[in-house]
Amino acid sequence: MPEFHPGDWVEDAVDWLQKHLGWLFDFINTVLTGLYDRINDVLGGGEALLMAGIFAVIALWLRGALAGVVTFAGFALIDSFQLWDQAMETLSLVLAAAVITIVIAVPLGIWAARSKAFSAFVRPVLDVMQTMPAFVYLIPGVMFFSVGTTPGLLATIVFSMPPGVRMTELGIRQVDSELVEAAEAFGTSPKHTLTRVQFPLALPTIMAGVNQVIMLALSMVVIAGMAGAPGLGERVYAAVTQVQVGLGVESGVGVVILAMYLDRMTGALNARVSPLGRRAAAKATAAMGRMKFVRYRPGTAVALCGVVVLALVAGGMNLAGGDGDKSVAGTDVGKGKQINMGYIPWDEGIATSYLWKEMLQERGYKPNLKQLDPGPLYSGIARGDVDFQTDAWLPTTHAQYWDKYGSKMEKLGAWYGPTSLELTVPSYVKGITSLADLKGQGKKFHGKIIGIESSAGEMKILKDKVLKEYGLEGEYKVVSSSTSSMLAELKRSIAKKEPVVVTLWSPHWAYNAYDLTKLKDPKGAFGKGEKLYSVARKGFSQDDPTVANWLKNFHLSDQQLTSLENRIQQAGEGKEQDAVRAWLKKHPGFVDKYAPVPGQKKDGRDAGKAVKMGYFPWDEAIATTYLWQNVLEDRGYRPSAKQLDPGPLFTALAQGQMDFQTDAWLPTTHAQYWKKYKSRSTDLGPWYDETSLELSTPEYVKGIDSLADLKGKGDKFDHKITGIESSAGEMKILKTVLKKYGLDKEYKVVSSSTSSMLSAVDRAVKQKKPILATTWSPHWVYSKYPMKKLKDPQGAWGKGDEIHVTAKKDFKKDFPELYGWLKNFHMSEKDLGSLEAAIQAGGKGKEKESARKWLDSRPGLVDKLAPVG
Amino acid sequence: MSRLRAEHLYKVFGRRPDHAVARLESGVDREELRAKGVTAAVIDASFEVDEGEIFVVMGLSGSGKSTLLRMLNGLLEPTSGRVEIDGEDLTALRPRELRDVRSKKISMVFQHFALFPHRSVLENAAYGLEVQGIPRAERDERATEALKLAGLQGWEQSWPDELSGGMQQRVGLARALATDAELLLMDESFSALDPLIRRDMQDQLLELQKTLKKTIVFITHDLNEAMRLGDRIAVMRDGRIVQIGTAEDILVRPATDYVASFIQDVDRSRVLTAGSIMEDAEGGTSALRDGELGDASTVTAETPLAELFTPLSSGGNTMVVTDEDGTPVGVVDRERLLSALAEEPHVNGHGADRARGRAEDGGKDGAAGGGDDESAGVTARA
Repeated sequence: MPEFHPGDWVEDAVDWLQKHLGWLFDFINTVLTGLYDRINDVLGGGEALLMAGIFAVIALWLRGALAGVVTFAGFALIDSFQLWDQAMETLSLVLAAAVITIVIAVPLGIWAARSKAFSAFVRPVLDVMQTMPAFVYLIPGVMFFSVGTTPGLLATIVFSMPPGVRMTELGIRQVDSELVEAAEAFGTSPKHTLTRVQFPLALPTIMAGVNQVIMLALSMVVIAGMAGAPGLGERVYAAVTQVQVGLGVESGVGVVILAMYLDRMTGALNARVSPLGRRAAAKATAAMGRMKFVRYRPGTAVALCGVVVLALVAGGMNLAGGDGDKSVAGTDVGKGKQINMGYIPWDEGIATSYLWKEMLQERGYKPNLKQLDPGPLYSGIARGDVDFQTDAWLPTTHAQYWDKYGSKMEKLGAWYGPTSLELTVPSYVKGITSLADLKGQGKKFHGKIIGIESSAGEMKILKDKVLKEYGLEGEYKVVSSSTSSMLAELKRSIAKKEPVVVTLWSPHWAYNAYDLTKLKDPKGAFGKGEKLYSVARKGFSQDDPTVANWLKNFHLSDQQLTSLENRIQQAGEGKEQDAVRAWLKKHPGFVDKYAPVPGQKKDGRDAGKAVKMGYFPWDEAIATTYLWQNVLEDRGYRPSAKQLDPGPLFTALAQGQMDFQTDAWLPTTHAQYWKKYKSRSTDLGPWYDETSLELSTPEYVKGIDSLADLKGKGDKFDHKITGIESSAGEMKILKTVLKKYGLDKEYKVVSSSTSSMLSAVDRAVKQKKPILATTWSPHWVYSKYPMKKLKDPQGAWGKGDEIHVTAKKDFKKDFPELYGWLKNFHMSEKDLGSLEAAIQAGGKGKEKESARKWLDSRPGLVDKLAPVG
Repeated sequence: MSRLRAEHLYKVFGRRPDHAVARLESGVDREELRAKGVTAAVIDASFEVDEGEIFVVMGLSGSGKSTLLRMLNGLLEPTSGRVEIDGEDLTALRPRELRDVRSKKISMVFQHFALFPHRSVLENAAYGLEVQGIPRAERDERATEALKLAGLQGWEQSWPDELSGGMQQRVGLARALATDAELLLMDESFSALDPLIRRDMQDQLLELQKTLKKTIVFITHDLNEAMRLGDRIAVMRDGRIVQIGTAEDILVRPATDYVASFIQDVDRSRVLTAGSIMEDAEGGTSALRDGELGDASTVTAETPLAELFTPLSSGGNTMVVTDEDGTPVGVVDRERLLSALAEEPHVNGHGADRARGRAEDGGKDGAAGGGDDESAGVTARA
């Protein structure tokens, strides 16, 4: 047979259309999107429960009291799933599509009923519309209309049109020909025959068609989620591709509620709009006799009043709500939230605690500061009475408390370190810079080392270890007293310029107040330094992520800390707060740096520009897309992210309908798309260095660590390798891999889809059964399940890909600044892993928030990714 | 004066109808055309209907009577020939003008009532007026009036599906009467009703006609109905009108075997009148002339024969027939009555081969016979 591919012509035609009829598509796009936006403004604008009330009144009007109650409950359930916005988007899509469909379908049906020729012509067209798989025109739809609402609406219109046309034609043809003849015999014009006789009598059938149209529209709108149509469909699609069963079910239930509502309402609409329907309803009610009240339905005017009242209330509340939202800006982050802080009366504890007290106050919190001994402080944190403290010396000094309460606390990070213990002399004591220099100088210091409290850990180390190490025993005597005595002695000596050696530690304000020399400890006799941590009660970072993030990012240099301590020291007790304020005045920008108001932005050069990002549901794509969405928002851009399949995404980029995407695996995995669209796209280079493809198996499958181990073990795996989409590049390579290891006879590769593969892994792991899955890195399957990658000693999989950012052709011209940022974008496997994990942990639907948190926990990263100024 | 005139009407369905008409005119048989897929529904139909006349077109199903009727109001366009209403040629009118004629001058009553189920009784009756564009108040008034004429006072706000068949057809009738159209086309209007109701409706139509004096073309397959209603009757067979005449003409002087076979089962005693069988006074009945019959009972000339049996069996041998003024015009005696009933109708023109005629039309006749029996039954009970 000669080969025949009309598909090629279609592709050529599509190209031609894009070039020459762009204005038409733009027009259609504007009309459809405009219609959708208007409807969505109305439906999505109101308070959820009030809108549910409006729907309930409509149900009451159409079907009676029970339907009204059930409707309200159903929509309230959607709201409680937090899917209200999506549900309204879906409803808006359905209504927009249905309106357009009916406006087109009914006249076509009438025409078909009147003209046999047109009927004969239109029938096969309708067959095609109804049976042609939606994906076939969904994808070209993306080419012409970009991703989002329009191709989804178009596909929906195409799919739901046939029953509208067919039922209209049928309805009109079904009208008794004698009635039509009677109308004609009395001289009725064709137009009036239609409007006075045929149409009213066909209305029940036409309404059945409308019902069908709406139901098909709903089912298609869900599928159109694939092409980026908003609403529940997008959620369902995302849930399915990411194996989020729970979310899938919730969205699915939302769709079902909408479907039932639309079905019952349009079904009942007939009884209201068509005279025949009204007749039938009146008869049925009359037949019910005493049970009439069950079928009570308010008059149209009453129902309309109800809807209007609710709509006005909804509109009013919406306005009021909008005003409230606007006042959030400013630096009031805490909004009066109380935070309990505790501190040990050590200088750095006092200093940082008052510092945070001041900063938190400035950010609108109500910090409550309490001085405690270490024991009560730690147990207070462990019990949750105290939110956090800033002066945990770890790993040594506070080890006993940490060991005891560590599991009930969380470390928010070190803000100073390492600390050190040391002997110190005033710097006017010349020739002594190290502990070793003290030997033989005992006379100078009267053989005395001024110590602190004998119970202090430092004193013990000094006596037991340091003096011994440096052979100072006998020559020096450690005088124990108290910290304050030691400092007084130091002060006195300095005033007299007498040589003195004291037991001191860092950080200490004394270093800021006096000119001192820390004696070096070349033998490390004082041991390793510690770090100063902020620790909080368990769960604090979830309850107050903002403060937790501030504390995590908090850091003081030696100079900053000692100067602060010194200032507090000088101000005297009771005036700590004033000292902190004065100190902050000398350090402008400190508060903004360490307690940044979330969402505070530094605008980029192209701020205000809309950036359209696309991604397909691969984890690194999701992670980086949402990361960039946050970064771009910080820079004042207006980014949007849309999930698409790779094909449509690359197409949309080539068409210039999307701006960039972060997940092009090159040169291998996405070669087919890249080859096709390379000339119409921009490559911004790799941000991730080497991916890998592999077969993987659960860790409990012992004895299989490498591809070579698979030989002869076919029975174990039912001779089956669970593959992904047969179109995937990896599947093709897998064949040669199997051949190289001589496994091609023994194993059969079953192609399915990524989500099915992941489901299979999930099932196998839960049942502890062996499985061979076709996977790749980076992928969360390795973090979620105990899976091991099978080694490839022969290198059969070949070199891995790089992950590139690719963009539309004119990207550099349109977004010069962003172009630069993305060009320099790079992520290590570790960073990517932690970002993916953060997003995975944050849960579905919170990707953006999770990425935000991750980003906030890395101060300066935004500046690094998107430098401005 | 003729209100309605049909001249050489042809209606041919199928390919090249003009050609088919030419062939029919040149004498080609209808069956021959049918073999080629062309159906000649009406062939060369010509007649006139006078003002105030009930003109019945009678024929079996497939004889073309309904097609003929639909050409009279332009629902079907004649393939050839003319239809004139009050001298205006319908076939020459443009669609808009034709619709105007239909809405103002012609009304129609249908076999299955053709009431609009989505309109109330009043709205149905007012339909023709609505089409004419008459304001609501006036059309409601006129429709109410028409319903009253049809005997449906008080049912205005009901719905068609709440009415019995007979009442529904009264609505149909009221709808036709409401427009004050002069020409009423009735397409088997009573055929779908059961016999008792049918008879009521026939009576009511005749009653209305006495005052309204409409020009009515009535289609039926029921000869008894035709005889009962029709001032004149056109009998159709296979698309052609085979005979036009009064009931008596048809009964007494059938034009063809077909007509003769048709009237076989007609209750002659109800169609023939005393006037048609009496011995004319001019003929000089000695008895009448001699004034012998002073005590004999009198009947008018219009009295059907069926009503002569009682007086003749109880009283004397002879009855005097008078005209409307009571002037004796003739006499009927017992012998004459019986022989009139026994008389074989003789076909004009050619020698009757009635056996053949019956054989040919046996099937159709049988079908029509059912209907006739029915009405005969009614007659008997009445």
